[in-house]
Amino acid sequence: MVEFSPETIEMVIRSVSVIAAGLALIAGIGPGVGMGFAAGKATSAVRRQPEARGSIVTTMLLGQIISGSTGIYSLVIAIYLVFT
Amino acid sequence: MNPGPQVVTHLFGKSYLPVTDTLLIGWLSVILIIILARYLTKNLKLRPEGKQNVAELMVTAIYDQIEPMLPGEGWRFLPFIATIFIYIGFCNLIGFVPGLTSPTGDLNTTLGLALVVFLVSHYEGMREKGVWGYFKSFGQPVIFLLPLNIVSEFAKPISHSFRLFGNIVGGGIIITLIYQAAPGLVPVPLHAWFDLFIGLIQALIFGMVAISYISVAKS
Repeated sequence: MVEFSPETIEMVIRSVSVIAAGLALIAGIGPGVGMGFAAGKATSAVRRQPEARGSIVTTMLLGQIISGSTGIYSLVIAIYLVFT
Repeated sequence: MNPGPQVVTHLFGKSYLPVTDTLLIGWLSVILIIILARYLTKNLKLRPEGKQNVAELMVTAIYDQIEPMLPGEGWRFLPFIATIFIYIGFCNLIGFVPGLTSPTGDLNTTLGLALVVFLVSHYEGMREKGVWGYFKSFGQPVIFLLPLNIVSEFAKPISHSFRLFGNIVGGGIIITLIYQAAPGLVPVPLHAWFDLFIGLIQALIFGMVAISYISVAKS
């Protein structure tokens, strides 16, 4: 059985948590795709009905906010992994 | 970069009631907003001119956001939503002043605001449907969904506060990284994006999500 010194264990934990923070940001793919999809649909809706632009933009923003939450969660987890 | 809240001083001795810089800058922005509001609304006239136009533009812009989602109650919710919007927008913009950090980059501020919105939305739901009718609406459409509805109700203030906090802190971290990689004039346009645009958009979004939570609780 190999004994590791506490400094080595500390270093391994820090480096692994930095790698994990980078991996956590992969979650940014999902909100990006979802928000882009919503924006594309809203663009075609505005083209079909230019007079309803205000309510379309409001609805699109609300949907994007909700779908963007997951990206924010991953960002917060990454921040906590790096700075603790 | 935003290093998080720093304890500046203590009220009452050496360890009671710590005062952080978030608290001081938050109060500073409250005082500045009061001075600005007093200046903008001094000697109002029936025919607006000059600074009164700015004040009326802000009020009607916020009113136009509330009225479609809470029909007929725009003026009732205007003070609450406009307070949230103006306070968060001002707090995001005050980070431009050198030496001051945005109070919204601290989870305490955003979670406090989100909890206020949480309490107001539940109060409005109970006012609309009665206390028992409101609690019964969590068991809709089948009683089987009751735990899920309660969990999603408590997830609302968490996601509401972390959204603002994450956006402000994430922008600050990216700007700090670019300052280390390319100091000089390169990061200056990024301040316009991350502080000015994202700050104002996030203030608008926080207010709009507050309106939608209230209208969901009422319907």
